[in-house]
Amino acid sequence: MGAVLRCSGLRKAFGDIQAVDDVGFEIAPGETYGLLGPNGAGKTTSISMIAGLLHPDAGEIEVLGTRMTPRALDAKAAVGLVPQDLAIYPDLTARENLHFFGRLQHMSRHDVRARSDEILEVIGLRERSDDRAGEFSGGMKRRLNIGIGLLHQPRLLILDEPTVGVDPQSRNAILESVEALAVEGLAVLYTTHYMEEAERLCRRIAIVDQGRIVAEGTRRELIDTISEQDIVRLKVAGDVHAAAVACDALPSVSSADAEDDEVVCLLDQAASSLPALLAAVSSVDASVVGVEVREPDLEDVFLYLTGRALRD
Amino acid sequence: MVKVWAIVRVELTRLLRDRSNLFFVFLFPLLLIVFIGAQFGSDFSTRLGVVADAGDAEAASLIAALDDLEGITTVAFDSREELADEVDRGRISAGVVLPDGYGDALRAVEPVEVVFLGRPDATSASLQALVGAALAEQVLPGAAATLLVSGRAAVGAPPVEAAELREVALAVEDQASRIEVSATTLGVDELAEEFAGLGQFDIGASSQLFLFTFLTSLTGAGALIQTRQYGVATRMLSTPTSTFSVLLGTGGGRLAIALFQAVYIVVISTVAFGVNWGDPLGATAVILLFAVGAAAAAMVVGSVFSTDSQAAGAGIGIGLGAAALGGSMVPIELYPETVAQVARITPHFWANEAMAELVRRDGTIVDILPQLAALGGFAVALVALGSWTLSRALVR
Repeated sequence: MGAVLRCSGLRKAFGDIQAVDDVGFEIAPGETYGLLGPNGAGKTTSISMIAGLLHPDAGEIEVLGTRMTPRALDAKAAVGLVPQDLAIYPDLTARENLHFFGRLQHMSRHDVRARSDEILEVIGLRERSDDRAGEFSGGMKRRLNIGIGLLHQPRLLILDEPTVGVDPQSRNAILESVEALAVEGLAVLYTTHYMEEAERLCRRIAIVDQGRIVAEGTRRELIDTISEQDIVRLKVAGDVHAAAVACDALPSVSSADAEDDEVVCLLDQAASSLPALLAAVSSVDASVVGVEVREPDLEDVFLYLTGRALRD
Repeated sequence: MVKVWAIVRVELTRLLRDRSNLFFVFLFPLLLIVFIGAQFGSDFSTRLGVVADAGDAEAASLIAALDDLEGITTVAFDSREELADEVDRGRISAGVVLPDGYGDALRAVEPVEVVFLGRPDATSASLQALVGAALAEQVLPGAAATLLVSGRAAVGAPPVEAAELREVALAVEDQASRIEVSATTLGVDELAEEFAGLGQFDIGASSQLFLFTFLTSLTGAGALIQTRQYGVATRMLSTPTSTFSVLLGTGGGRLAIALFQAVYIVVISTVAFGVNWGDPLGATAVILLFAVGAAAAAMVVGSVFSTDSQAAGAGIGIGLGAAALGGSMVPIELYPETVAQVARITPHFWANEAMAELVRRDGTIVDILPQLAALGGFAVALVALGSWTLSRALVR
């Protein structure tokens, strides 16, 4: 099946500031694609162009094969945008908000009514459907914000930092909803500066900094791009020093040292080297009673690629 | 149109849901109409002032007879000067001054001078004729009875003969000729002339309509800013809704609010106070064009300011200022000539001028074409400016 979203060479400048510089990626149906980067990295500007709110200075955007521009109403109909800032009327009820945006999506009254009931159920606001949104908690407002984006059953859902300012319980509910939507075949573009969210939700992730995609791939691929080695601590019963010498002899191990009852190894590809390490320890009449592996995460990748922490 | 209407509907819903609007949109305009109406007193279109001796039975009888006439209400005054002043100012349509000893003179079949104070208009002329007829009706039976009684006394109450009846008739004619109704036409005050014939609330209603339609539109412009601040405007543009439809819906919402305010004042003032709005076609055209201008002005205010408190402040300032300058607080006729000329820069001036032509001078839509053209010019210019500023604000 073809890509739901395909964009390439996107550029956007505001005065002297190059907000987006040569951004491009594709999202397949059922895929959740993450844009991971700190605030000001250009994620929201990219999303604004993809949602047809901004004209790119250069580059192409296609949604289901239709070129996206601010005037491309057909392409917009396939997109559900959930902006970072709440985009709801606080003086209208949850149902009225859904009804209003449903009508703007060209849905019939009947469809809006039926679909609103479904969405209110999904976002857990059925009981509060006739209360004004202004009376909701932050998490409830966030869920309504997402519900509006899902109302017209889009093919591409764009979630721009949907969990900012949300309590842990609501945050988890939102993440579960996104996982469920991807399972149903929805293409999701998810921006965040929370590494854990990107790692949990996204099959592929683009790390964005200063308007550019500095790395892209699966979580594993991204982590593999850095040369930082893993650290493996083996808790050993038996001759610890002999175990350390045996481990050090392995080609993947850069170094292995005995520390009390542990052998501390510095090595590449800890996951794949672990069986060899265990075998090496066993070969010297010792046994491994505990293993601790610490591998780099996306935070380390971002640090490695940009020299700055993700939340700087 | 579905999307445009959806936006319009939301704008109206939000207006009606804001509790502060309950006072400013619904109650306050009525209070001002009542207040201004009170300044003009109760219905003065057919009020006939009377100066008479309170203890004079014949005078009281005449006043009662005048009161019984359809459409005439008598109002007692203490002095001719006071009555003349009120007629002069247009608050009283005309006046009748019965001399002291009016009843005694009638009974004595002596000459009586009744003074009629009128204005050089058709209403005064009609009232003068009605007063004359009422006087004759009161005087003639009295005179006849007097002559019959005296005749009976003279001849020992014989039956009335034809000759006697002839004599009675001649005497009645003679008595009638002794009652002189001297008509005095007072000097005409231009302002009084301008407002003569208006109902108590007619002046306040139309001027308040323009004041509040403009004011409500402008103070409501903060809702446009909120729509942007809430991110709803951006979200609207992310849906398959064109910028033009968003503009049309937003402008339509402002127009609906302006018309809502205007129609509310027209309906409630007509039903509750019997306000005369003149030629319906002309009044509709004036109100519609004025409302379009007010709605477009609200789009401008809602676009150029960044916060709703800024917009509310500017809306109140501009709304009240334009209303004051344009004759919605004080009749433009009271302004010095220079100020009256400057007032032409406000739509209120042209709207008030048009309504004056329709209501005070019984004009039709043809008579207000110049005012409609001016209002149309305001509407076109403001719609163009409002659309331009709002379209820029939406994509900011």
